[in-house]
Amino acid sequence: MSFSLINAIRKLNISTVSQIRLISSGSTDVSNINSHSNSDLNVTQKEWKFPPQFTKPREVWIENLDSIDEKKLGLFELHPLVYAVLPRIDIIHRNVIWQRKFRWVSWAHTKTRAEVHGGGRKPWPQKGLGRARHGSIRSPLWRGGGIVHGPRSGKTHFFMLPFHLRIHGLTSTLSAKFAQDDLHVVRNLELPTEDPEYLAELIEKRNWGPSVLIVDDNDYAPRNITVATENLPHVNIIPFYGLNVYSMLKHDTLIITQTAAERIEEKILQHLHSNTMPQQAKFKLNQV
Amino acid sequence: MEWLSSTILKTFWRPTVNTIRTRYHADKTRLVRRYGYEEKIWSGGLMPRSEGRRLPIPEYRPLNPWTQRRALFGQNDYIDILGSGELHPIKTLYTVPSWIKGVSGHEYHILLRKKKMFARTGAPTIRPTKWKEYEKRLSFLYRKLNRKTKTGPSPC
Repeated sequence: MSFSLINAIRKLNISTVSQIRLISSGSTDVSNINSHSNSDLNVTQKEWKFPPQFTKPREVWIENLDSIDEKKLGLFELHPLVYAVLPRIDIIHRNVIWQRKFRWVSWAHTKTRAEVHGGGRKPWPQKGLGRARHGSIRSPLWRGGGIVHGPRSGKTHFFMLPFHLRIHGLTSTLSAKFAQDDLHVVRNLELPTEDPEYLAELIEKRNWGPSVLIVDDNDYAPRNITVATENLPHVNIIPFYGLNVYSMLKHDTLIITQTAAERIEEKILQHLHSNTMPQQAKFKLNQV
Repeated sequence: MEWLSSTILKTFWRPTVNTIRTRYHADKTRLVRRYGYEEKIWSGGLMPRSEGRRLPIPEYRPLNPWTQRRALFGQNDYIDILGSGELHPIKTLYTVPSWIKGVSGHEYHILLRKKKMFARTGAPTIRPTKWKEYEKRLSFLYRKLNRKTKTGPSPC
């Protein structure tokens, strides 16, 4: 019941927004304002598979990359369950710790007295020399002897963070970035030149960065931006499925293409609204 | 009369009174033992020694936090959420050897798994000493854990 009511209200919203758009395109004053920024402002109202029930969708400007000065190409809606949750710093921290630990293998190694070469012979007789009794030159008491309770190679710190904590880590970090104005949505990644100076100047001018993480929706970014970021080590491009909490925190600004933002939203919403018992099950080594 | 004059004298003039302490121990001359001996042990604290040759302070070499490995650390860690769902994040740990990828446990468990996975390869014949060490360590740990360690909530 409430669901249908909310949908009805959303429908109303759509109609009002379209009216505003019609008026703005018709009136001369607004078009004058728009003319120096952009002629047609594209406002998209999204139809989600899982529309937000209790919170309003967040609006974000779509920006451009083809000029150094910022142009607003349109308005875009972000789902509040993904981009506007309460940022839980403790969960973000647990995610970062997990990311550092689950791949961490300590290769420090020491040899025990059994593994150090030699030491089989008794160095001197038990009695009669006035010296301390010793049975092996590789005893831990000796210089060059074995090590007791030393690090043994292949110490892992592996554990899996629960599935929903990892989802919550992603949404928390995205929300924190968005709330702090460090998340920008761009239409596409087309640059006019492949000059790294252009990109550096653009980042400087728009008050992004210094470090920028660019998230694309597929593996192959356009040629110009890949060449431009080649020699800028603090500007990195990753596909949307490579997005993670650590990188988002390491880079100051997050630039997401419109399609990547949609794909991230879609994936996370799908997990939030489906049965995730298999993913929540205890990690077994033979499952992968 | 005598009483009166002494009272008047007392009102106009009072003798200064000094308290005299015996400063016997403070004024005593000490016997200097081992006169002329120079102490060679440094007792001036933890700083590098200023006398003689200074300890070398290593040159500060800040590490580059934006090498490719550091800049892209953690990429694909959420691939089971954001990707198609077929790939587990530990499948993307390309630099970690397969026998230890995603394993957690005591030294015994890890070594047991390593030996089990190496048994099918040429390791026993190519590296016989290593192989012998694995076996020796495993038998030592087996005896330690099963015969000399009390069982309880914490296994190791």
